[in-house]
Amino acid sequence: MAHRWGMVVDLDRCTGCEACVTACHAENNIPTVGPQEAANGRAMHWMRVERYWEGEYPDAKVKFRPVLCQQCDNAPCEAVCPTYAAHQTDEGLNAQVYNRCIGTRYCANACSYNVRFFNFFNPQWEKPLHLQLNPDVSVREVGVMEKCTFCVQRIKTGKRTAATENRELKDGDIQPACAQACPSGAIIFGDLNDHESRAARLAHSPRGTKLLEDLGAEPKVTYLQRQPWNESDA
Amino acid sequence: MTPPMDRRRFLKVTAVTGTTAALTACGNPENQIVRFIPDEEIVPGIAEWRPSICPLCAAGCGVQARVMDGDAEVLRNGTAGVMRMPLVKKLEGDPAHPISQGRLCVRGQAAVQVTYHPDRLVAPMKRTGERGSGQFAEITWDEAITTLAGRLDEAVAAGQATAVSFVGRPRRGRRAELVARFLQGLGAGAPIWYEPFDDGVLRRANALSFGHYQLPTWDLAHTRYLVNFGADFLGTWNSPLAHSVAYGRMRQEQRGIRPKFVQVEPRMSQTGASADEWVAARPGTEGAVALGLARAIIAAGLRPASAAGAAGALIAGWSEGLADYAPDTVERLTGVSAKRLERLAREMAEHGPAVAAIGGQALAHTNGLAQALAVNALNALLGAVGTPGGVHFTPLASPVEAPATDLATHVREATPRLLFVDGANPALTLPPGANVGAWLAAIPFIASVGSFVDDTSAYADLLLPDHSFLESWVDAAPESGALAAVTTVAGPAMRPLYDTRATTDLLLEVSRKLARPLDPPLPWQTFQEMVQAEPAAATPATARASRPASAVAVAAAAPRPWSAPGFDGDAAKFPLHFLPFASQAFGDGSLAHLPWMQELPDPLTTAMWSTWLEINPATAATLGIADGDLVDVVSAHGRLQAPAVLSPGIGPDAVAMPAGQGHKTFTRYATGRGASPFAVLAPSTDAATGAHAWAATRVAVTKAGPPDGRLILFAGATRERPAHTRGRG
Repeated sequence: MAHRWGMVVDLDRCTGCEACVTACHAENNIPTVGPQEAANGRAMHWMRVERYWEGEYPDAKVKFRPVLCQQCDNAPCEAVCPTYAAHQTDEGLNAQVYNRCIGTRYCANACSYNVRFFNFFNPQWEKPLHLQLNPDVSVREVGVMEKCTFCVQRIKTGKRTAATENRELKDGDIQPACAQACPSGAIIFGDLNDHESRAARLAHSPRGTKLLEDLGAEPKVTYLQRQPWNESDA
Repeated sequence: MTPPMDRRRFLKVTAVTGTTAALTACGNPENQIVRFIPDEEIVPGIAEWRPSICPLCAAGCGVQARVMDGDAEVLRNGTAGVMRMPLVKKLEGDPAHPISQGRLCVRGQAAVQVTYHPDRLVAPMKRTGERGSGQFAEITWDEAITTLAGRLDEAVAAGQATAVSFVGRPRRGRRAELVARFLQGLGAGAPIWYEPFDDGVLRRANALSFGHYQLPTWDLAHTRYLVNFGADFLGTWNSPLAHSVAYGRMRQEQRGIRPKFVQVEPRMSQTGASADEWVAARPGTEGAVALGLARAIIAAGLRPASAAGAAGALIAGWSEGLADYAPDTVERLTGVSAKRLERLAREMAEHGPAVAAIGGQALAHTNGLAQALAVNALNALLGAVGTPGGVHFTPLASPVEAPATDLATHVREATPRLLFVDGANPALTLPPGANVGAWLAAIPFIASVGSFVDDTSAYADLLLPDHSFLESWVDAAPESGALAAVTTVAGPAMRPLYDTRATTDLLLEVSRKLARPLDPPLPWQTFQEMVQAEPAAATPATARASRPASAVAVAAAAPRPWSAPGFDGDAAKFPLHFLPFASQAFGDGSLAHLPWMQELPDPLTTAMWSTWLEINPATAATLGIADGDLVDVVSAHGRLQAPAVLSPGIGPDAVAMPAGQGHKTFTRYATGRGASPFAVLAPSTDAATGAHAWAATRVAVTKAGPPDGRLILFAGATRERPAHTRGRG
């Protein structure tokens, strides 16, 4: 059976530390844009941590939520792309073919989750920062839309390694950079078609929800809600 | 610093012309490329992983460096060229390492940028302009070492123990041991390990309460009730990665039981944001909350006072059941209601294993030691010392040395003839009253071994850039983060890019050039030899006799009362508590030069490339300040300007500000950016330990003007973003 990649983010474990954000930058050659362009709204973070304040002092509460491409089954970004740059792969990834992208930015407008980032200019790595670039990931040029790929290069490497070693892919063989870095183990990646995988089992947790579920985009990222402390259970 | 810029421009040209230039450019030296041939093989395109240790904080996390081949522009003995060599592409946690456990924190991920920073010092340099002007010229290592050895000879000849000082960042391990033994051999005082957010107060308290001069490690994976007094253990404090790993297990891996986490602190930190309950006690009163909890537990008969043993006996009135900390009294002192206090005490006692933690801002007051002792006694009462889910001390091969002196005292009392600076940046972070600029200016000779020119090393006469950690032998023996002893040693993950030299090897080389040999001598030729040799039986006996630890132990035999905190600045003139905090991106500011960290949205505000002042909305309304307005912050000691961020996570009587920015000079990414909270701090100290009470300053805040664009927010979700601020939305 084909793989169907998905992710579970346990908000009860997430501490909002943003290790996932930097890990994503390091793995995926995401440029920094500098203060001027950041102020123009052009900073790029395929992974971000949203925070929601609730209540007023002294009863204020914060909820963190790491947000990345939700890899929707029914992805609004794909339907609007005139060049099929945004399309769904056989394994359920919302892929972005950079060479096809002509920069209409329709997909970013259609995305309900604000996770697509446009290259308004050619990215710059002031030398020798370019030496840290990951050769497994292409550097995007001006005029191209980019987004989280679930670290597709790691998926490919994982499959190739398993094939070389003449074995089946195991749950946990493949980890996107964010999941690998996450200190508290809040991000779990896996094959949703493998019902024994940790991600597939957690995706059915009673705490599971989808982001803006009622829009019908059918995301493959499940958020496990924070669990309240219950004195009688403790 | 024009020479390295010239070289960079030269390299840019050569990189474009490529390898063919090397063949065709005979007789045209500007275009000639030297191809250095490395003696090691790596398969093109195939990654391999090499171990290393993250150097950015004292936690000592073991990392794996992902290494692939690439063409690097390198510098060898003054000659620029290109070398195909293994290059570190990414850092990941080492799954076999007991502290990082395969994970890596937000700052550790960015450590690779230290090596590839465009403003990294590439060769030794000497000062050519005025002190602090940042004008340097490249020299050879021969000249650098001769100069340094000559200056050391002169300084040592004067025969004073204070003639040579060394100020570095606290990192336990053999590198620190080498530095200490080098100084000891010179006859100089012990090295001074300095960080602005220092934890000396907690180490002292732990020595008194539990006999360990050491930071604690909490076995959170088995904790069922955690009360944390201000320690940012999920962000920047102590061993944040190891504690975050354990925190994840605490939350969701306790067989159906989901523990409770209560955070007591006046300003909600990133750690506090993950708590189930936030208790906004007044600044500096956390210890009274802890004693109130203890009193309620004892009074309700949930635990006997005697259970706290020696740690309890250190608190005045403990054996009498802490009569002075009745819930009503504590409510008046702290602002935490009596009813709530009694509820928390009962929950804590009934839902063990429970543990209390204290750190950071809660200890940075004039009553810091008393605050820590109160929380230690509460832990002892709960039976949480050395038990599953409780507070532990990592076994250590050699004890943590109590410092002979702290930097502020040293600055006040001694002017050395020669100063080594090793990455520490007191010119930014000591309070203005310390006059560290004048002190630096008065020192005849300063040598910096850091990789960058910052506020402090700008005063240097000699820049002796170290290899990056990925280019050197590294080691760490952290004092906390694991329940078992951890010592890590790793070799270089890649060859050095430039004409830098490992500071460890530099000290060994200089020691061989001195007119009067070190006594006792250093038995190694290189640092590699040292780390591969057996560790010394005991740590160096640097000024052991003058260590104040024993003095503290004697003085502390008597029980001491918790006392209300004192604050600098008249409450009528300076009505607001000023609470600096370590930035998630920059820590104390030492990482502000990394572009990934500058562009990292702050977890609670999404601010990038900025500094800001957090202020309660009601206070802001009274002062006529709107979100994003520019405000003046004035104390009796200094002033600064920053944009305001209205936050429900701080009380109406306080404002808070992240450390990290405000560097006068610190590479192209951080120079002149934002403001530093240290610029307004009073030099107040904790009465018992002399540690800087960096949260004990009062300030006045006034509106300076409308938003001017210096607050840059990422704010991914439009509805979160105030209309006037700029940013993605």
